[in-house]
Amino acid sequence: MDNAVLTLRDVRKSYREADGNLLEVIRLRQFELGAGEQAVLVGQSGSGKSTLLNLIAGILLPDAGEIVVNGTGVPTLSEAARDRFRAANIGYVFQSFNLLQGFTALENVLLGQMFGTGNGGADRATQLLKSVGLEHRLHHRPRALSVGEQQRVAIARALVNAPPLVLADEPTGSLDAKNGAAVLELLRQICADGKHTLLLVTHDPAVMKSFEKVVRLEDLR
Amino acid sequence: MNLLKIVTKNMRQRALATWLTGASVALGVALAVAILLVKQGVQKRFEQGTLGYEMVVGAKGSPLQLVLNTVYNLDISPGNIPWKLFEQLRDDKRVKLAVPFSVGDNYHGFRIVGTTDAFFKDFEFEPGRKPELAAGRVFSFSEDALKSAFQEAAERAKEREAKERGEEIKPVAEHEQDHANRPFEAVIGATVAGETDLRIGQTFIAAHGVQPSAEAKEHTENPWTVVGILAPTHTAVDRAIYINLDSFYHIEGHEIRSPQAPKPVAAKPKEEEKDNDPDPGQVSSIVLKLRSPIHALALYRAINDSDNAMAAFPAAEIRKLFDIVGNIDLVLLAQAILILIVAGVGIAVSIYNSMSERRREIAILRALGARRATIFSIIVFEAVAICTVGAVVGLVGGHVVVAAASGLVYKASGFVIPAFRINAIEWLVLGGCVVLGAVCGLGPAVRAYRTDVAGNLAPTS
Repeated sequence: MDNAVLTLRDVRKSYREADGNLLEVIRLRQFELGAGEQAVLVGQSGSGKSTLLNLIAGILLPDAGEIVVNGTGVPTLSEAARDRFRAANIGYVFQSFNLLQGFTALENVLLGQMFGTGNGGADRATQLLKSVGLEHRLHHRPRALSVGEQQRVAIARALVNAPPLVLADEPTGSLDAKNGAAVLELLRQICADGKHTLLLVTHDPAVMKSFEKVVRLEDLR
Repeated sequence: MNLLKIVTKNMRQRALATWLTGASVALGVALAVAILLVKQGVQKRFEQGTLGYEMVVGAKGSPLQLVLNTVYNLDISPGNIPWKLFEQLRDDKRVKLAVPFSVGDNYHGFRIVGTTDAFFKDFEFEPGRKPELAAGRVFSFSEDALKSAFQEAAERAKEREAKERGEEIKPVAEHEQDHANRPFEAVIGATVAGETDLRIGQTFIAAHGVQPSAEAKEHTENPWTVVGILAPTHTAVDRAIYINLDSFYHIEGHEIRSPQAPKPVAAKPKEEEKDNDPDPGQVSSIVLKLRSPIHALALYRAINDSDNAMAAFPAAEIRKLFDIVGNIDLVLLAQAILILIVAGVGIAVSIYNSMSERRREIAILRALGARRATIFSIIVFEAVAICTVGAVVGLVGGHVVVAAASGLVYKASGFVIPAFRINAIEWLVLGGCVVLGAVCGLGPAVRAYRTDVAGNLAPTS
């Protein structure tokens, strides 16, 4: 694929268990996602979906294989360079939102900006929060927000550096059906508007149904 | 958003631990600063206080006691020395100025010092600084009146001795008349004026003894009239009441018993120079100013070789005193440093323990792109910030403590300790606290540096 934003090739990842045996968590041959494409990755619980996202984000290193994001081989970078690359090129949305409790909604988004490109300043962060419907919650701390609002803040934070690739790990997993649907719709819409490539991990059949491209981890082996 | 804001937020989130650990640093710094300021201030003032007192002569005993008594109006007088010794020293070619002092009474704890008008006319308590009048005049003084007072005091002593032996007492009418005509005049120091509200023309009754006491006898028959008030000198002079020496010897209880002529003080004392004339009176001490420093040692030895007097160099005695006190300072300073070290350990433990709660936050920051070095810096910066803020509060607190204590020091000694003058060593203390914070932050920072990102990003149930 010429315009691939994400390419995975022969990626392997194992963990050593307490008894000394190696447990292979990830083994996949090839996977690609083009610019602006949206895909959902499904698999059984414990099949290594979150591990794969951490490998793509450069938080974990593979034992073998190629992980190329926006033309850069992530595992070939030094740790510090991977951190910088992640901040600028990958937006990450977590199931449990992972907002910093001592910071307001706006500050949480600004934190994402601080380690990333830093472009746009507070104006872009505010604009993003407005676009997710939180213009009246800018200065509220996470505890003062509903779970749906917290996930919207997390989406705004993931997109603040305008990353080419957005990774979402069970983004609706902590939300009720109504909130989940709304947040998913919002995430997909913003990614589509900004032409961000989206790779979403889920085991929720309702979420799977809404995506045209559904990839089963087992099929990649 | 910047690192400082992240650090501030972290500190605010752990407000109680931050305040407690910061307060312990502040306590240690305040203690250290207070000890250093008081020690340096008092030492400087004590050393400055000796500048006008080149040599002090008094009864044999402790030279330090003599210096404290004469220069600082502290402690009690070690005894009296003959008036004839004063005359000899005054007339000695090596001596530029001799001023006699007699102590033995107080007014509300302020020492009453009998002296001559030379104290106001010629004596410089610091080079170029003489006691100056803020109001009124100096008491009247004449040497004839003094000699007459000595005579009366000696006769009163004889009367008392006769009374003690049970002999019949012959009243001395002419003395009483003399006494009634004698001016009982006093010049009071600036602090005395401020604390007692004595003003020109007012009278006061002195009590016997240099310290106030409920049992002390009051000299009700001899009220003194304030004729002058001295301008502040910020020395022990401010806390004294100066009276003419002759009135001092008119007071009941200041009789001169068994006067002894002193051994002459000569460059080379000779046996044949012994003077057997009875001494007319006594004084507590004499302050000498010499014509040249080259005479100091010879005169010092000559006086100390005599049977009934001793000379002391105030500057040397004060240096010796501070050599002793210096060790106590070191112990107190060591305690303050220990408090700082304990405070530092407290900061390290507090932040280290918080790492368990903060692993997720650190993992989030790492996932957002923060480098390990950034996380390490945030934790070290946090420890440094607590130590620095604590140190600054401690520095200010130390000065406030000294300002509060300087009132007590002033009351006790008349010295003003400059409480708000920044000392160079305080910058060193501040720098030391920054380093202490950095060192204490290392352990927790290493733990934060090693935080497993992927493991701590997983949802918690």
